[in-house]
Amino acid sequence: MTVLLLEGVSKTRGTGAHATRALRDASLSVASGEVVLLEGASGAGKTTLLAVAAGLVTPDAGRVVLAGRSLGDLSPAARRRHRARVVGFVFQRSNLLERLTAWENVLLMAQLAGRTAAEARGETEKVFAQLDIVHLAPRRPEELSGGEEQRVGVARALVHGPALVLADEPTGNLDGAAGRVVAEALAACSRLRGAAVLVATHDARLAPFATRKVPIVDGRLDFPPSDEQ
Amino acid sequence: MRLVAKALRNWPARAWLAVGGVATSSLLVIALVAALRGASHSVVAYVSQDGADLWITPPGADHFLRLSGVLPAVLADSVRSLPGVAAADVILRAFVAVSSRRRGARFRLTLYGIGYRAPDGLGGPPAFAAGRAPSKLREVALDRAAARRLGVGLDDTVFVNGRGARVVGLTTGTNLLVTQFIFADATAIAALSGFAGRASFIIVRLAPGAHSDTVAAQIGGRFPDVGVFDRATFVANSQREAGAGYVPVLAFVDILGVGAAAVLVALLIHTLVESRRAELAVLLALGATPGMLAGGLIREATRLVVTGGVLGAGLARLLAVVLDRVYPVIPLRVDWGDTLWVLALFIACGTLASAIPVARLGRVDPLEAFRA
Repeated sequence: MTVLLLEGVSKTRGTGAHATRALRDASLSVASGEVVLLEGASGAGKTTLLAVAAGLVTPDAGRVVLAGRSLGDLSPAARRRHRARVVGFVFQRSNLLERLTAWENVLLMAQLAGRTAAEARGETEKVFAQLDIVHLAPRRPEELSGGEEQRVGVARALVHGPALVLADEPTGNLDGAAGRVVAEALAACSRLRGAAVLVATHDARLAPFATRKVPIVDGRLDFPPSDEQ
Repeated sequence: MRLVAKALRNWPARAWLAVGGVATSSLLVIALVAALRGASHSVVAYVSQDGADLWITPPGADHFLRLSGVLPAVLADSVRSLPGVAAADVILRAFVAVSSRRRGARFRLTLYGIGYRAPDGLGGPPAFAAGRAPSKLREVALDRAAARRLGVGLDDTVFVNGRGARVVGLTTGTNLLVTQFIFADATAIAALSGFAGRASFIIVRLAPGAHSDTVAAQIGGRFPDVGVFDRATFVANSQREAGAGYVPVLAFVDILGVGAAAVLVALLIHTLVESRRAELAVLLALGATPGMLAGGLIREATRLVVTGGVLGAGLARLLAVVLDRVYPVIPLRVDWGDTLWVLALFIACGTLASAIPVARLGRVDPLEAFRA
């Protein structure tokens, strides 16, 4: 089942002399259970594509359908509610909230997704057990290693059972072993929960976990693949 | 949402610095108001003492403080003979220079000299911390704060307008902040001040069953050039006069204190917004509404202001107790009503001040969450 559909999406960032065409007539479809790697150099438009897919940025042209709803037809508040329910984020530097413990970071996401207090607690317990990070629950982000932080970040992305997980350079700041653990956790997103996973990266270590790779160059997704690809 | 509010809390060190700033500001404001109330209370304590049912004043004077006219002392005899009057005593009030010698040093104060029919006439000391009322010409009862400033205690000698007198009593509720009371027999004060045969006021005690309005009208009809006031009116007028000198200055300093606290809170919340933009962007990206974030920030501002305000109020009460025991020169009278009023003002100003940085939340772009 298609979770994310981008049709002819274009987006220009900045204005005047500083304007950059971040996305050019980009089309992409991601189905549940897929792990799609969005590969490209810095500035290629990966992050903008993730932001458009999540409804954080409104495209200048084209259509985005997320979990069956066209984002262009939703009010900003409805788009925010829809995003909180169906999208999970994994950021490059985990971006855990520093005043909250690992447990509270994950619990907060479940609450923002509209879960009751009891449901949020239950789902948080479940995802901590699934990712085998129960021992990290009481720690604050400053007490976690880079790899541990990112695993908690993955738990936060998964806790509310999102249809789509968007990950932006999730292994960019991690060494080999930690990167592999996080990559496995991301793969578990689709395997355990059936989520579609779209990963913006230029880290080759993620390739073995992908079901599909999509190159992006200068905001375009439709250029001919190279021999390597 | 509790976790959003918790995520937006300041780190303890920064929060406690802000709390300390707000506490200091509220302590300043509450202490200033308490000082005014303490001085005002002393006026009230003296003027409203038992037996002072009517006050007869020189023409134009309607309060106890700051007047220059005098009455003939014999007027008291005429008033005493009127129906409904149980007693009428002369009060002679004059500024006197009081000095002491201690360990070779000389201390000097200008005090409110109150001459009355010692030891038990109307208008004597309202309360004693120690000792008794003066009963001889060369005896005085002195406000305990003035005694501390002069470095004297019971049985020590002070010099009133150069003439020696023994301290036989230490009084309380007689500290006007800028000056204090010293009590002596009216004859002694008259001799020291050159007001022999004169009175500043005549205090009247009513006979049982007599009505103050009736007796006041009678005195007014018989002596049309004097002022006659019942106790409540004279107290109110004296309070008004006591506040008139202080209130504008205190109000000015209070506004500065509240303003400083408000700016501090606004600065803190502004710093919070600016230093935690990435986290705010993450919260927005995850689905938190701007209202949740604004609520969390205002809650944080309110938490700091309330904590600081309550701490300041507690410190003000503690300061009042400590000063009363250690340094009674500054009479702090902390009133619950004043404290609640000041706290409400701080909370309102702190919350309003936080609205300015909260308005800057609109500039936080959720895309910042993606920028490493």
